[in-house]
Amino acid sequence: MARPKTVRAPTTASLPHNLRIPSTAPSLAKSLGKLSRQALLDLAFLWLDDRNVTSFPPYLQSDQHDDKVDDEALPYPAGETIEEVRRAYEDLQDRKGAKREVLERILEGDWRHGITLRQLAMADLRYMDDHPASLRWTALELSRIDTKHKKSKEVPSVDWSSSIPRMQAATFVQALQREISPLVKAHYHLARSATLPLTFLRIFVVDSPYQSPRQTAEIFADSSRVIYIAFPDSCPYVYTSITAPTGSKATPSTTSAATDTRTLQRLVRDSIPKALSRPQERFSLQATSLAAKNLPTLLALRGPGRSTASNGAFSIFADAAIEGSPLDPRPSSTVSAEEHIRTSQSDQADDKENTDLSTSKRPHGPDPGSLCPELKKRRLAIDSRFGTLGSSLTPAPLDRLDIRLLDALGSGQDQSDEEDESVSTLPAISLTFTGSDVIAGIRKLAELGIVDPERMPSWMTGEEGVSVATVRQGRPLQKDK
Amino acid sequence: MATTLSRVTASPDPEEEELDLELSSLRAKICKVRSRKRILTSSLLTTDPVQKLLRNPAQVPTSLNNIAAISPLVHAAGAHTSSNHHRIAFSATAFPFKDPSPTATVTNLLGLRLDVCTRNGRFTKPYYVLLRQEPSHTAAGSAKVLKVHRHTVPSFISIPRLERVYLPRAHTSHKNDDREGSAEDEAEAADPAKPWKKSSRAVLEQDVRGFVRELRRELVAWHMRTDAIDFLREKLGLVGEDGEPQPFDVSPDRDTGIVSLAAAALEARYVRLEWADGRVGRFKLSNAGIVERAVVIGDEGRDKKTEDAMTGGGGRVETVLDRLKVDVSSKSP
Repeated sequence: MARPKTVRAPTTASLPHNLRIPSTAPSLAKSLGKLSRQALLDLAFLWLDDRNVTSFPPYLQSDQHDDKVDDEALPYPAGETIEEVRRAYEDLQDRKGAKREVLERILEGDWRHGITLRQLAMADLRYMDDHPASLRWTALELSRIDTKHKKSKEVPSVDWSSSIPRMQAATFVQALQREISPLVKAHYHLARSATLPLTFLRIFVVDSPYQSPRQTAEIFADSSRVIYIAFPDSCPYVYTSITAPTGSKATPSTTSAATDTRTLQRLVRDSIPKALSRPQERFSLQATSLAAKNLPTLLALRGPGRSTASNGAFSIFADAAIEGSPLDPRPSSTVSAEEHIRTSQSDQADDKENTDLSTSKRPHGPDPGSLCPELKKRRLAIDSRFGTLGSSLTPAPLDRLDIRLLDALGSGQDQSDEEDESVSTLPAISLTFTGSDVIAGIRKLAELGIVDPERMPSWMTGEEGVSVATVRQGRPLQKDK
Repeated sequence: MATTLSRVTASPDPEEEELDLELSSLRAKICKVRSRKRILTSSLLTTDPVQKLLRNPAQVPTSLNNIAAISPLVHAAGAHTSSNHHRIAFSATAFPFKDPSPTATVTNLLGLRLDVCTRNGRFTKPYYVLLRQEPSHTAAGSAKVLKVHRHTVPSFISIPRLERVYLPRAHTSHKNDDREGSAEDEAEAADPAKPWKKSSRAVLEQDVRGFVRELRRELVAWHMRTDAIDFLREKLGLVGEDGEPQPFDVSPDRDTGIVSLAAAALEARYVRLEWADGRVGRFKLSNAGIVERAVVIGDEGRDKKTEDAMTGGGGRVETVLDRLKVDVSSKSP
């Protein structure tokens, strides 16, 4: 569908939802092809839903007259009504088959005139729901820039609720668009996660509005141009898929005038706190030295819940694993941690938890009573150091842990905090742990007797809840010092 | 042998499957009965007669002369009940905790435990705050100040802000009184209700009691808000029998025409409403359970009448549906 040639002038408008990407683009097939068959079918039903069908109308027979393509040659004849198209997908749903079949039907059949940007965004978010570990997320903290710091202290407010900007997602998108539209041409899509307490904002950055020649179709399905921002419920954190600006030092490419995706991403990142701010209430984003591939991990370590500020040895408190409710007549030492967690997790579902008891009995290792005293002692030490972290009870896997050690060689525990004398001969040792779950791995090493559970520093137990840390004498250095 | 095994796994006998099912259900039943037995024995050990008997061993009948053997159990049960009584009665309890980390500067921590009772008569997971005693370097000499080390409070309640007001530390202030050394004792002696009244005199006074009080108040208020919203949802029939939320296609409430009512976020400060006729609304809940502000927007702009009905009449959140009912009935005839 060729549009008449028009005069192109830079505008600040965002890319429209209904901008269609030609369905012949190979990258489109690739990005849709990542989805499973069921996910593709679900998406097709969603697109054909009564509420959405006006936004993404399928190709029907009534559309054919302005197309000169010979219909007989195509494998998927256009349907007569939307109802008929729906039925075709219901048939596909009922029988088993390859994913290919559904994908081809979508691209070559019912949406042969193109997939809109919004459809693509929905497909991407669906993929994210299915694969929560598909991207690397960085947690950032929203902190209020308090200009009248001293004054507010003298008059303590009665409001102890945290300084979370009350965010209306749609308003935020408007504000964000106002911030970045002079610099970045983008498409915005907001969605609520189906599985996690998060609101996703998908920003698809195309280009700066001044350099807008005709885009090739390829660019619209380029995943490196997509930025995700996730807003967890009720907590002063924001997660982004933008990698931390560590490489910003090495970007002297000012000649290319803000067209590379990196610069555009940085522009977007900088404007997030501005879009959240209001008069008299300014926010800034601060790094929290946590990046992980898994969204549930981020929610556990920088989320609204209990485990945000108590990890490692203190995770027993976050999970309430040592003491039960005050109505429990059993002395807490006789109840296992699993039972405590389970009872407090499912207060209402009494019957369910009792049936669970038989299956999940003592997940790790044999009963401590049957072990030799040395092993028993080590197990106790491990339990006290790691708490419930790294065991099967609370899955919050950290896939990467970067540690920089700043200890001078041979320095003992008794060395005082005189920092300047050790600067000259400071050997910096960097350790990087990677794997599916780093903390669980260290715990396993301790269980095998390779790591001494009583003497290891606290960063090995995940107590700080960070993925990047600089450590001196076993203690992470505070950022604000 | 190997062939028979493979045959068994290849074609699971329906009879065998049934037996397996029966076995697992029996096992579950055994577990259930066993845990019930444990609860009953512990309750029995904590009962008054048993505990009294233990305190006066002279009265022990000769038939029960093996009480010496079970006395540790009874002792443990007694101690547990009394701590449970404290937790129920005072809601905030303290305990010592030792940081197991070998690199920690301070290993002895003061733990605070807050128990909050909710609407269904159960207690939530206890909330913990672990305080660390730190030496503070002031001009007047070294003293100990408390600092929040770890906590399990949900992050929409700002612990740093509470800490700044109730547990101020030396470097946040200009004044250097030496009265802060006995901060805890003083805080207990001082009037706990208005710590800011004397802030001009002694900024550095740490008020642990005030800290706990405000924190507990905030936590209880949060649970009350969620409970109030659950109560309204139940009244509207938006919650099914088993406590699970019903699917989306619920019929609107007959009296008020509300199709959906839910908290806008985890904090449960704002509540979102939807009516069958397309109006949407939102109201703000105060800590005291009062509808502070309400906005209702329909196709023809703000619906001031409904807004007034929500905030008026005392504004209690529990009766907000009744007020809306009256409003609807007065409008329709």
